[in-house]
Amino acid sequence: MKRIFSTDHKVIGRQFLFLGLTFLAVGGVMAMLIRWQLARPGQPVPIVGRLLFSGAGGVISPAAYTSLFTMHGTIMIFFAVTPILIGGFGNFCVPLLIGARDMAFPRLNMLSFWTMAAATATLTSSFFVPLGTAQAGWTAYATLSTAIGAPGAGQTLWTVAIYLNGVSTVMGAVNYITTVVRLRAPGMTWFRLPLTVWGFFLTSILNALFVPVIAAAMVLLFFDRVFGTQFFIAGTTMRAGGDPILYQHMFWLFGHPEVYILILPAWGIVSDLLAFFARKPAFGYRVTVWALIGVVILSCVVYGHHMFTTGMSPLLGESFMLLTMIISVPTSLLFLNWLGTLWRGALRMTTPMLFCVGLVFTFGIGGLTGLYLADIVADQYLHDTYFVVGHFHLIMAAALLMASFAAVYFWFPKMFGRMMSERLGKLHFWPTFLALNVVFGGQLLIGWAGMQRRLYDPSAYDFLKHLLPWNQWISRAAYVLGLAQLVFVWNFFVSLRRGKPAPANPWEVGTLEWTLPSPPPHHNFDTIPTVVRGPHELGSPDARARGKDWLGQDEVLS
Amino acid sequence: MRLGIPRDVSLDGHLVDGVLGYLTLCTGIAFAVLVVILTVTLLFHRARAGRQANYTHGDGLRARLLTFGVGLTLFVAIDVTLAVRASHHLRERFWNYPDDDPNALRVEVTARQWAWTFRTAGPDGRFGTPDDVVTLGELHVPVGRPIYLKLRSKDVVHSFYLPTFRTKIDAIPGSTTRLWFQAQETGRSEIGCAQHCGVSHYKMRGWLYAAPEDEYRAWLARAEIDSRLRYDPNDVVAQQEGWDW
Repeated sequence: MKRIFSTDHKVIGRQFLFLGLTFLAVGGVMAMLIRWQLARPGQPVPIVGRLLFSGAGGVISPAAYTSLFTMHGTIMIFFAVTPILIGGFGNFCVPLLIGARDMAFPRLNMLSFWTMAAATATLTSSFFVPLGTAQAGWTAYATLSTAIGAPGAGQTLWTVAIYLNGVSTVMGAVNYITTVVRLRAPGMTWFRLPLTVWGFFLTSILNALFVPVIAAAMVLLFFDRVFGTQFFIAGTTMRAGGDPILYQHMFWLFGHPEVYILILPAWGIVSDLLAFFARKPAFGYRVTVWALIGVVILSCVVYGHHMFTTGMSPLLGESFMLLTMIISVPTSLLFLNWLGTLWRGALRMTTPMLFCVGLVFTFGIGGLTGLYLADIVADQYLHDTYFVVGHFHLIMAAALLMASFAAVYFWFPKMFGRMMSERLGKLHFWPTFLALNVVFGGQLLIGWAGMQRRLYDPSAYDFLKHLLPWNQWISRAAYVLGLAQLVFVWNFFVSLRRGKPAPANPWEVGTLEWTLPSPPPHHNFDTIPTVVRGPHELGSPDARARGKDWLGQDEVLS
Repeated sequence: MRLGIPRDVSLDGHLVDGVLGYLTLCTGIAFAVLVVILTVTLLFHRARAGRQANYTHGDGLRARLLTFGVGLTLFVAIDVTLAVRASHHLRERFWNYPDDDPNALRVEVTARQWAWTFRTAGPDGRFGTPDDVVTLGELHVPVGRPIYLKLRSKDVVHSFYLPTFRTKIDAIPGSTTRLWFQAQETGRSEIGCAQHCGVSHYKMRGWLYAAPEDEYRAWLARAEIDSRLRYDPNDVVAQQEGWDW
């Protein structure tokens, strides 16, 4: 009991990690079912089809397909990436990296996890009600998500699950913010924080500000569904005075920051890890920090670009277009700093490093394709096509997965006291990296050819019929991607049991968690360290004078 | 294995294609540079015996000038240029609706799960009267005249999508949106729904038929007769569609 309802941030971090990885697998299987339908429309799914779609003889029906893409998005964003990166690594890393014994509010932390568990239970239960689970897409646009388009209880349970997920996230956010502000070790000034901590800190600010907005939207949607209010309902058939567009404003006011909520920890982790494995200080640390802050501020004022086709006022449209484009200034600074970190380094191509470099590559494509969608003229053609799907998967799926894997391979020794296999790690990286790019690059191309999102059978359209072979190749790459993850699962669990015992500092880096034994004791630090330098003092003359190429953040030079 | 953007048959589609081309050029160059730098570091800057990483925090004046210089150059060359160009196209063309153009063909579009209805005013020039020409899933237009749509939805959000015209606009319950375009070639173009609107979203398609002016008028004359014959003053649901322009 004490282990299950633990208030230790390291245990809670692991709980979040396992929850997130489980749902990552579920969301991944859903993605492959979606790909099956797009490659072989209306044909029975092999192996699992009879079990999952028994009513239709193993064929994915339009209703089942609609549920699949709805829940794939919901699960991946709210129940996989959020718990893995923010709940899992946020919890595990933040106190250790700033030299604290635990989070500021350990019991709130525990409550945050168990609220997330309640959210997952609610979401899972939605599969077993009459009419099945939610079908309105992960964005759940009104009025499709109201009783007009989704009469069943599944959508209501979905609404509750997202609300609970938000409650959990906000509890975590308050905790991270307080922890970073109050519990930094002596000498751990703001500009000596590892960039990972900056990522989690800034993400938490966005979470605390914007998750309440979607929570409010969920409450109003719940009222519309259950109590017959009409906040989001309008139309000629239903005489009602609400506004479906109000929902879109609320959703994207949260939804766009959400992209940065998820990517900021990834950016932080990658900025640190690139420096660690290039054996160089992070290039332009302060510029990176200010760029991250700039992204946070801008992310609050760009959400309108998700609504360019709703007929918004021209002045509003142009403003959102310009604001969106300004985001490319801090992100290009961030990119240039990453390249500056790599340049003239002494790169150690470990598995975490491979995933970081992979992220720089895929995030490059994902970021650049964002420009197409920021431009209203191009967007009126590309909006709601697979180009959008490819673009955000390159960021939300490819880049975030790579950051998550980099984090797992990097901190696994500290979390579990054992090393993961490097050989299997590389065997995991290469097919993952290649398949990700084929899948999401392919989606960009079929989107360019005009294919809309969320079509059960694209060949219903004459102008999309010729895309079938392309969809089949994308699907094959998706299966490869799915299979490659088995290598990771194998590596993870075998290393957990039989991995080589991890030394305190296997990667030879200087942040505080590596001064502790692997895994660290319950209270983390016997004595709270005093920090004397920044996180990336790699290759400095002082270090070389001591016969190594790194200096600990609390290492006093005698 | 054909792939590529569908053929443009509209008056202004080439503006979209021009912007897309410029975007591809700029992002292509930026991405190529990124790949070259990454490749060089991965090939030549690897750890090996005796290699020391260059110890720099990259916070000197030169480093900052370089990063800010490159960042701002990219911003001006790509983002600002695009925004100005897009703004120009929007003001001159896409958002310059033919409200005062007597030559424009006005069409009311009603979206519902999962079909499009198109309504043009009959000879009286007014909508919502017995001589309205109403078609289901077929939009007949003349070539060479602006087509001005106003759209509403009866149930959920839909999106009227014309890939060969490079355009789309949502149809939203409770409000009216608008779109204008002009066909430059005769022939058939597919209409799609771009916004997820329920289980049969994928079936919500239609056709746009663009014909020369005289052929269009001949079609309209026949359609008017049909419409009058089909008009039922007691059909309350049908009367809900068609609103004053």
